[in-house]
Amino acid sequence: MRPWRTLLFAAAVAAVPCAPAVAAPTDTAVKAAFLPRFARYVTWPAAAMPKGSDPFILCLVGGDPFGAALDDAVRSQSIDGRRIIVRRMDSAVGADRCQIAFVPGGKLQSPGQIMAAFGRRPVLTVTDANAGPQRGMIHFSVVDGRVRFFIDQASAARNGLTISSRLLALAIGVKQ
Amino acid sequence: MRNMLKENWRSPPVAIFVAAMLIVLIGIAVIMQTDSGYRDAREDFARSQAQLLAVSVAAAVDFDDPVAAKEAVNPLHVISSIRLAAVYDRSGRLIAGYDRAGEAVPAIEQTIASLNANLIRASAPVEMRGQRIGTAYIQLDRQPLWRRVSRYGTLAVLIAAATLIVIGLGFAQRALRTANRELGKRAEALAQANELLEEQVAQRAQAEDQLRQSQKMQALGQLTGGIAHDFNNQLTVIQGAADMLTRRDLPDAKRIRFARAIVQSANNAASLTSQLLAFARRQPLAPEWIDLNELIAEMDDLLDRTMGERIKVITDLAAPCRVEVDRAQLQSAILNIASNARDAMVDGGTLTIATRDMPNGEGRRMVGIEITDTGEGMDAETSDRIFEPFFTTKGPGHGTGLGLSQVYGFATQSGGDVTVASHPGKGTVLTLILPCVAANGEIAPREVAAELAEQPVADILVVEDNEDVGAFAEAMLAELGHRVTRASSGEEALEMCRSRSFDVVLSDVVMPGMGGLKFADALAAERPSLPVVLATGYSQEIAEAGSGGRTVVMKPYRLATLSQALASAMKSARPA
Repeated sequence: MRPWRTLLFAAAVAAVPCAPAVAAPTDTAVKAAFLPRFARYVTWPAAAMPKGSDPFILCLVGGDPFGAALDDAVRSQSIDGRRIIVRRMDSAVGADRCQIAFVPGGKLQSPGQIMAAFGRRPVLTVTDANAGPQRGMIHFSVVDGRVRFFIDQASAARNGLTISSRLLALAIGVKQ
Repeated sequence: MRNMLKENWRSPPVAIFVAAMLIVLIGIAVIMQTDSGYRDAREDFARSQAQLLAVSVAAAVDFDDPVAAKEAVNPLHVISSIRLAAVYDRSGRLIAGYDRAGEAVPAIEQTIASLNANLIRASAPVEMRGQRIGTAYIQLDRQPLWRRVSRYGTLAVLIAAATLIVIGLGFAQRALRTANRELGKRAEALAQANELLEEQVAQRAQAEDQLRQSQKMQALGQLTGGIAHDFNNQLTVIQGAADMLTRRDLPDAKRIRFARAIVQSANNAASLTSQLLAFARRQPLAPEWIDLNELIAEMDDLLDRTMGERIKVITDLAAPCRVEVDRAQLQSAILNIASNARDAMVDGGTLTIATRDMPNGEGRRMVGIEITDTGEGMDAETSDRIFEPFFTTKGPGHGTGLGLSQVYGFATQSGGDVTVASHPGKGTVLTLILPCVAANGEIAPREVAAELAEQPVADILVVEDNEDVGAFAEAMLAELGHRVTRASSGEEALEMCRSRSFDVVLSDVVMPGMGGLKFADALAAERPSLPVVLATGYSQEIAEAGSGGRTVVMKPYRLATLSQALASAMKSARPA
């Protein structure tokens, strides 16, 4: 018998009794958890990446449906060793330095206007079906009670972003 | 010695046991090594499969997508040795997985470690961009049954083989030890038996020596007794008759009768000594070439007369052969055998005399004179002894016990042999075997001895060391009208021959100083034309070397024999 197995077994015996009962997370919490993770499957042009060891920037443009949940999610994530920080802003102005932009739309601009403002900039735009029919490069949708997403690969490509096939494989649908 | 053997034999079983244990241990080590190698390979396989799974399922874990995760896990189904595959998220919850055996896949990651510890399993972290987001598990099937069976089977066979070796060698050892002990015992017994045997052989040899000695003494006693008895009989007659002759007023007729009785007795005594000498193979033989069949045919009348009317004599002369033997001795031998046959056929019967070629002879042709009777036969004990002198089955006064001894002596002295075959009630066959001579030799015509040869008066030198015999010879020859001169030794006679001449010399053979043969040789060198006649009772020299062509007269000689010998010697010396 190998030592590591003994250890594993001991750990299992110690761990099982105090395994926490996990409450089902809300859709919003799931989306908050997903948002920073997309960064791992997308490649930005070198110029669009943060300089040096600057943090990766996740922007909420026009509204914030997540609140602290997103801050919690971001805290436990990193992209190639970079921290992720969340910037909340009312419009697309000043969103140039965002790598990811969640666009729920808001009082000043609709999601469509915001995304139009981004134009061809290498920003991964994420929309939510709850917020309206306009779709960003990634579009959340709840199917069978689970949070899934569509991917618009063509739009991403136009803006110089490459989306990993692994992520494409998880999408409900991919627009090419 | 025995202790040393024990020591030597006791240590190998320990060595065998240790060797067997060593074999088993090496076998176990090899099996374990093989097994561990197999296990390592399986673990490598499981690890690589877990890593593959971790990579392919990463996105599904990341986005908590059980459907996608299942799609990543399901392809592992095609690998039959993978029993369980499972993917857990960061918090240890099961995302997707299957168990081939149909058991529930543990919902919580920690639980998986409590599964059968003997199974080979591997886990790999599910990572994305440097961040661990979950764990992939692969668990392989237990070792295939055949593999386990073969492992334990091999081990069992190994142990069984080792045990068998130990048992077998142990048994062999024991058997060897037993055999060794047995062998030792046997060797000891053998040595004892050998000792006993040697002792017995020595005893036997001693007994045989004693027996031979006693037989010799018995034979000697029998011989001397026989001689004394027969001679005493003859001497009684001679003495009595001589006493009677000394009486003055004895009529002429009686004197002549007594003188003849003396002559007869002396004749009997002479034939007795002659037969003795024949047995001793020391009689002087006068061998001549004889046609054997002719000789037997000539004996027909004699045999008929000897055998009597109740016995029929048949001759079957199948083998023509010439022998070189003494004629008188051969006739005597045949007559001796025939008379023994006659005595064996008291109620009559048939005597068959046959000549046969004999196979024996070392390159020489041998002829057998087979004399068969239909008499009572003999037992083995008797037929073994019939050639012994004075051995006889006849009652006192019937035979001397010397007849067959003469036959034996004559046959062997003539270069032949005599054999006997007989069974009680089935008759006897005596075979006299003699060597044949080349067929082209001439047979000398026989001279018929005249009673008293008419001869001219001669000058005779008589050489004789015995005064009585010399005087007797001188008297006899003077009676015949010869002039006789006497010498008492060979030297004296030689001297006399140089000073005067003689017509013939009669010399004794055995004399002190110069013997008769030497004297004759010396005389022949000086006076080759002077004939010498030798007279002897018994001479080893003549029996062995012959007389050198000279006439030999046997003592005791009679007047007629002596005068004839002298006459023929002078005649043969004269003719030139």
